[in-house]
Amino acid sequence: MSVVTEVLEELWSMFVGDRRLTLLVLAVLAIAATVSWLAPGLRAATPALILIGAAGVLADSVFQAARKAR
Amino acid sequence: MLVWTTAAPAIGAAFIASTVEVVEAFTIVLAVATLRGWRPALSGAFAALAVLAVVVAALGPALNLVPLHALQAVIGVLLLLFGLGWLRKAVLRAAGVMALHDEDAIFERERRELGEEMTSDRVANGIAALASFKAVLLEGLEVVFIVLAVGAGRGLMVPASIGALAAFVAVMAAGLLIHKPLSRVPENTLKFAVGVMLSSFGVFWTAEAMEAPFPGGDLALPALAAVFLLIALALAAIVRLRPAEVAS
Repeated sequence: MSVVTEVLEELWSMFVGDRRLTLLVLAVLAIAATVSWLAPGLRAATPALILIGAAGVLADSVFQAARKAR
Repeated sequence: MLVWTTAAPAIGAAFIASTVEVVEAFTIVLAVATLRGWRPALSGAFAALAVLAVVVAALGPALNLVPLHALQAVIGVLLLLFGLGWLRKAVLRAAGVMALHDEDAIFERERRELGEEMTSDRVANGIAALASFKAVLLEGLEVVFIVLAVGAGRGLMVPASIGALAAFVAVMAAGLLIHKPLSRVPENTLKFAVGVMLSSFGVFWTAEAMEAPFPGGDLALPALAAVFLLIALALAAIVRLRPAEVAS
């Protein structure tokens, strides 16, 4: 395998190593951005939404991996 | 002027993350050196460092041209993906679901694989230099990303670079001193810490990019790190103590 291919694979695995985690993080951020844009009154809740969403995605990903491993 | 509450997490995140990556690269460079000598090992390593220097030299100024909000959004998303990925693996390793990173085993495997590939002296030195080049390039790319990601969004390139450089010097000094794979570095604990810090930066910057900053400004960073640390520790404990419930 060429070095370039390995570098590209490394870059890909850095951010998309777990496809489900990547998609869920992007979904959380899309929801937070939509809320922040469509409802400026709720903008103050956006940081909490991102934090809770990220924590939820982490928990989902950990439990999913543990389930697969056992 | 640099604010210590912002600079310290940047230096810390870059230092710890770079330590993990430099230890991994050092293991392979050392395996190459013990098998074929320091010449091919170092020539491969320095060639990779030169490529990385070109990447940094090209990307650094280019990032200054990107509007701050867009930069924070892109880097925030990438940091969140990268940080949560590291944190996930660290939690799974802490819970005993994934095997811990074993530098001694990696060192032996690398020596064995290199030994099998080598036929003549000239070919052997070429393969050895290439193995060293790839290891430093691949691990170095992660260090470059971490330094750019932690530093670029808020003018923290210097503190982040200092953190990475300090890690490089510390690992090299320790490695040259003991001349063995650095298997006693608590790699998973470091990865746990890095995952926590990068995820915190990711959440913080994506919120800022959406013009919805956390209350307290930069002081929110340590608070976010504490929240992620507690969540990750709780997840590791749940998976370790109740495998049956998690698996059902």
